[in-house]
Amino acid sequence: MIDIQLIGLFNATLQAATLLFIAALGELITEKSGILNLGVEGMISVGAVTGFMTAVNTENIFLAVLVGVLSSSAFASIHALVTVVLKQDQTVSGLILTILGLALSSLLGKNYVGKKLVTKLEGVTSVTDPSSILEVLISQNIIFYLAVLLMFITSFVLKHTMFGRRLEAVGEDSRSSDSMGLKVAKTQFIATCVGGAFAGLSGVYLTLSYVPYWTDNMTSGRGWIALALVIFGGWKPYRTALGALLFGFLEALVPRLQTYGFELSPYIVKITPYVITILVLVILTIYKGGKTGAPKNIGVPFFRENR
Amino acid sequence: MNNLKLFKRQSINELSTFYSFLIGFVIAIFIGSIILLVQDKNPIDTFSLMLRLSVGSINSLSSSLNKAIPLILAGLGISIMNSVKLWNIGAEGQIFLGAIAVNYLYINTQFNSPTLHIFVLLIAGFAGGSLCILIPAITKVVFGVNEIITTLLTNYIVFGITIFLINGPWKDPKSLNFPAAAYVGEEVFLPTIFGKLSLGFLICILFTALAHYLKNKSVFGFEMRIAGGSALTAVYAGINARQKAFIAMLIGGGFAGLAGAIELLSQTHRVSTGISQGFGYTAIIVAAITGMRPLGIFLVGCLFGALSIGGSVIQTIGVSAYISDIIQASTLFGALIIQFFFTYQIKKVEND
Repeated sequence: MIDIQLIGLFNATLQAATLLFIAALGELITEKSGILNLGVEGMISVGAVTGFMTAVNTENIFLAVLVGVLSSSAFASIHALVTVVLKQDQTVSGLILTILGLALSSLLGKNYVGKKLVTKLEGVTSVTDPSSILEVLISQNIIFYLAVLLMFITSFVLKHTMFGRRLEAVGEDSRSSDSMGLKVAKTQFIATCVGGAFAGLSGVYLTLSYVPYWTDNMTSGRGWIALALVIFGGWKPYRTALGALLFGFLEALVPRLQTYGFELSPYIVKITPYVITILVLVILTIYKGGKTGAPKNIGVPFFRENR
Repeated sequence: MNNLKLFKRQSINELSTFYSFLIGFVIAIFIGSIILLVQDKNPIDTFSLMLRLSVGSINSLSSSLNKAIPLILAGLGISIMNSVKLWNIGAEGQIFLGAIAVNYLYINTQFNSPTLHIFVLLIAGFAGGSLCILIPAITKVVFGVNEIITTLLTNYIVFGITIFLINGPWKDPKSLNFPAAAYVGEEVFLPTIFGKLSLGFLICILFTALAHYLKNKSVFGFEMRIAGGSALTAVYAGINARQKAFIAMLIGGGFAGLAGAIELLSQTHRVSTGISQGFGYTAIIVAAITGMRPLGIFLVGCLFGALSIGGSVIQTIGVSAYISDIIQASTLFGALIIQFFFTYQIKKVEND
């Protein structure tokens, strides 16, 4: 018989990890194409609020997920337009996407603060109170299994399909890719929108299952942790998942520390994931000695010189 | 067959950033109007009300300029760091730590001269901001850790520390419902110059000139540009690029910390979560939109300060204050789009 608290911790770890992982996986795809999108926080927020609003108004949970994913993807296309088509600074555009996304979602969600969901994302099986590791694993909701599936699919697509190889080529050396006839702009545009869709999925997971309600700035820095996860995972899906589990574990552990007998101020405990993220980034950078696995052309706008 | 092709312009109009900003602002007002129309509000009425309540009287104008102070100072800090091609996303946390440092020094020291006291507290604010960026600065120059993520994460850390302090050690028992530290004494309030405008605005003008000199006229500014440009050139020129980056980061953080000190001593008079209302993030827009030019940051900071005041007062007629955030962010997106047309030329080319 395993401690019931440990089961709860495991369950909470999986859920927190799912949220971080989906957003990180999306950003990984975007960055593979050489586009850095710092707007993850804003995109998650847009997906979260539009999904929540749809769920409240229609009580149709699948429509809500779809709306969240699509609106976040459409929102990401602003970044694609500004950086891919118009070749402007990716750092600036991404940051503003975060600011705009947070403001826009607060504006949209103004009348939805405090509203309750009639239908939320339920687990796929009827187990509501898991008492073993296995029951935890089979009682998650559909987005968790989708996240696991997306991990395998993304890894496969990146390694073994034409689209994946094109993506990698464009991100590593857009000039050569262009002279070989690859459509650089099209590939980058698609990758950015896919990244937005993933962030949107993470957002609807937040408001339809993880929390589940809507309040301003409820993403509380998860988008930024997702960005750190991509670096942590060395731009590889499986390692990113491992990182998400680690960070999910920390997020789940923090509110439980006191029950294990640690006398710490809850306010100080809350900042530990951010401190640990910085520590992990430092250790990782020292360990890898600069070879982080980042796509070579990341952040560099591609412009074909016409002569 | 004719084809459209993209050409980089030979020369870019010197005022292109300014024109892009203007057109971007018009686009943003247009977007704001659509949002207002959707909410059944008359845009012309709403915007004229915003204008009247933000610059229409001495009182409202001075409130707007007070609001501009943190935006300008944090924006200047961001622009100094940009000289070495580094991003400071941590201005929000630096503002808070600046205020915390001021309060710490206020609690633990005694001064006979109020003028000297205020002066020392302002320096403490600057130091607090520098302290806040110390860890990102060390990890950047020693290990090469991406400063965008580390400076951003420090925001959450410092905000957590603030919440801890005002709910714990610094909690004012007299403040029941709203957790905050005790008020500082009136002897350290920053004096006002006219209306409600605080002396902080003069400090702001001084620091704008200082940042302009530092970036564009001083030897250090020249060295920063080389250090941020090419590692190889820096080596040939005998410039220690890491050292310049380190100093630029500490100065950049200090500017934002000073903003926190001024907020505490002239506006909130105590440490609370109200020390900054996202000033550090808005400052990023202000700095980026001006192409990191100190004089531009000063002007756009004043405009955005007025926008924020306008945004907060129209809440009384049921319009969300976020409308001003959206206008600010849309201005930058609009400006980026226009900037494209100043940098590139689309020509019809005959295919051969």
